[in-house]
Amino acid sequence: MKPNFTQKVTNWGNFPIVEKEMRSEDSFKKIKEFVLNHNEVIARGNGRCYGDASLGENIFSTKKLNKFISFDRLNGIIECESGVLLSEVLEISVPQGYFLYVTPGTKFISIGGAIASDVHGKNHHAEGCFSEYVTEFKLMTENGDIIICSREENSDKFWATIGGMGLTGIILSAKFKLKNIETAYIRQESIKAENLDEIFRLFEESESWTYTVAWIDCLQKGKNIGRSILMRGEHAFRHELTGNDAKNPLVLKKKFSPTVPFYFPNFVLNALTVKIFNFLYYKKQSKKEVKNFTDYETFFYPLDAVTDWNKIYGKSGFIQYQMVIPKETGKEGMKKILETIANSGNGSFLAVLKLFGENNPEAYNSFPTEGYTLALDFKVNSKLKKLVDQLDQIVQEFGGRIYLTKDSMSRSSLTAYLKNVNSSKFVSLQHKRILNNK
Amino acid sequence: MIVLGSTSEVAQAFVEKALQEGEKFERIYLFTSNRETTERFARHIDVKFLQQSEIIELDLTKTINYSEFDQINSSVLFCATGYLGEGTEEGLYDNKNTERIIDINYSKLVPVMNYFAQKFESRRSGTIIGLSSVAGDRGRQSNFIYGSAKAAFTAYLSGLRNYLFEKKVHVMTVKPGFMATKMTEGLPLNPKLTVTPKKAAECIYKAFKKQKNIVYVLPIWGVIMLIIRNIPEFIFKKLKL
Repeated sequence: MKPNFTQKVTNWGNFPIVEKEMRSEDSFKKIKEFVLNHNEVIARGNGRCYGDASLGENIFSTKKLNKFISFDRLNGIIECESGVLLSEVLEISVPQGYFLYVTPGTKFISIGGAIASDVHGKNHHAEGCFSEYVTEFKLMTENGDIIICSREENSDKFWATIGGMGLTGIILSAKFKLKNIETAYIRQESIKAENLDEIFRLFEESESWTYTVAWIDCLQKGKNIGRSILMRGEHAFRHELTGNDAKNPLVLKKKFSPTVPFYFPNFVLNALTVKIFNFLYYKKQSKKEVKNFTDYETFFYPLDAVTDWNKIYGKSGFIQYQMVIPKETGKEGMKKILETIANSGNGSFLAVLKLFGENNPEAYNSFPTEGYTLALDFKVNSKLKKLVDQLDQIVQEFGGRIYLTKDSMSRSSLTAYLKNVNSSKFVSLQHKRILNNK
Repeated sequence: MIVLGSTSEVAQAFVEKALQEGEKFERIYLFTSNRETTERFARHIDVKFLQQSEIIELDLTKTINYSEFDQINSSVLFCATGYLGEGTEEGLYDNKNTERIIDINYSKLVPVMNYFAQKFESRRSGTIIGLSSVAGDRGRQSNFIYGSAKAAFTAYLSGLRNYLFEKKVHVMTVKPGFMATKMTEGLPLNPKLTVTPKKAAECIYKAFKKQKNIVYVLPIWGVIMLIIRNIPEFIFKKLKL
C-alpha cells in the first residue's frame, strides 16, 4: 500500500476542517526535502490555535521535533526542539525551581507555536510576551537553509518570525529563559465586580500584581454589564506554604483528569445553558473577596484539566474571538462589545478580560498593544458570522485589532498588521484569506 | 538497558516511561543505524532525566564486529528493530527488498539477540523484550514477506523464553498491532485499532513489570488474530486480507 499523507486537519476550534497533505519528519534533511518539493508550506505544532492559521496546502507538523537539547540548571536557560510542548518544559523545569516567564491559558501548545504567535499571559502588563525571554531560535528558510536568529544574528528574521504566524519559515528549535520559583503554588485573590466600572478600577489598582485576569459574564445587560470576577496572583514563597505543600513545594500531587468522550449534541450549549453556567460561576464565590493558595495548574490552566473540552461545542465547532482596544477608549469599546453580544443572545461560555501593558515596538508582529483585551468563545452557527461582523465593526471604530492565532473569520483590515512575512513558500490558509479579502 | 533499534518511537517512549517510573540504569546502550536521530534522543534523556547513554552503530545489513560489544552488559534488553519494506505488489519479486526485510527482522537480528542472550544467561537474571508483529501470526497477501520474518522472530522468542526460563531470564514477546509511527505514516489505519507509541510503551512497561509472556498492546488484536488464525485455509486463501 502506498502511503497517502492527505488527511482531515482541523485546529482546536474544529472549524474550519480541511483535507490537506500533512507530514511529520524528524531529520533536517527530510524537512528540507519537504520544503523544497512543495509549493505552499506551513508549519503546525500541536494544533491548539483556534482558527486557520496553521492550516495550508502542505502542512509540516513539528510533532516529531520533540526533543530537549540542553538545560542550564544553574541559570534557567533551556533549549529544545520546536515541537516540545510547554507542559513538557514544565514537567522538567518546575521540580528544579523554574517556571515559564510567559504562558497562555493552555500548556499544550508547542514552543514553535508560542514563538510564531508570540503568546501572552496573565502577566503581559508586567512581563510582556513570550518573545521577551527567547534568546535565539533556528529557522528553516525558503531554500531549506537553517539559520540562527537572535537579537544580534539575523535580527530582521528574528523579529519578523516573532508573532509572524509561521510565514517566515519553519522554527526548528529555540532557546529561552525561565524564571525562578520557590514553589509550584500561587497566592491568589479573587474579587467580585458588579459592573464594568468596578472591574476596570480593580485592574488599575492591581497593576503591581504579576498576574491579573478577569472572568466576565457576557450575557448581563444594563447596570450589570461587565459583572465579573478578577483573579490576581503571585508565585508563592516557600515560607508562605503550610502542611504537606510546604514539605514538597515544587511537586504537585497527581490529579484526576476527566475526558470529554464525544462531541456534545448541538442543543447542549445554548443561550439558556450558558446563562445558567455564568450565573452559577458568579454565585459560586459567595464572598466579595477570597484569598487562598492554589497550584499553578489550577491557576494557569483550568481548562487543561478536562481533556478534549473542545468537544463540548459539538461537531460544528467554535471560534475564539480575541481583540484588543487601545486603553484610552477601552472602557467605552468594551461596553459596546458586551452590549452587542448580550443583545445577540449568542453567549460565550468563557469570556476573559485583561489589561495589556505596553508592547515591545521591536516585536512589531505581536498582537498585544496597550489596552483592554477580551477573549470570547462562540459556537459556530448560522448567526455567528453576523455577530463577528458587528464586533469587527466596533473594534475597527475604536482602532483595535484581532489576535491572528484565534482568527478564522474576522475582517482583513483587523488582522493585516503583519509585516515582512510575504513569502511564496510559506503560506497559510489564513494569510491567503486575509490577502484575498483586502 | 540495551536498546536495539533506538530510532524506533516505541523504543524511545519505553525508555522514557521506564525512567519516569524511576527505573535505574547505569547506562543506556543505544544501538542504531542512524546516528543523527539517536544522538538527539541521547541528549534528550540526558537533559530530561540526567541519564547517561552511549550510542553504538549497528547496521544489520553489514558484517557485525561483536568484539565491540564486549563491555556491554545490562539487565534489560529492548529490541524494536524492524523494517516493513515494500508490500507484496510493489516489492514481492524485488530480491533486494526481500533480503533486506528478512535480514533486519530476522536472519541478521537473531545472532545479535543471541549474543546478548548468552550474557543474560550467564548472569542468570534480566528481561529480554522483543517487538514482533501481528503480521507474523498468519501469512496474509498484503505483507507476507515481512509477516514471515516476524513469524520466525516470534518462534525464536518463544523458544528462547522456554530455553532461558530455567536460567532465570525472562523473555517477553510484544505484538503491537497498528501503531502510528514513522513505519506506518500515511497508511490508512483504523484509528480504533491504532495506538500511539507512547500508549504502546505504557502498556509494554506494565507487562514488563508483570513479567508477561506474550502481549498484544491492544487486547482487541488478540481477538482479531485468534479469528484470523482459525479461518480454515480453503476460505482464507480467497480472502483479501
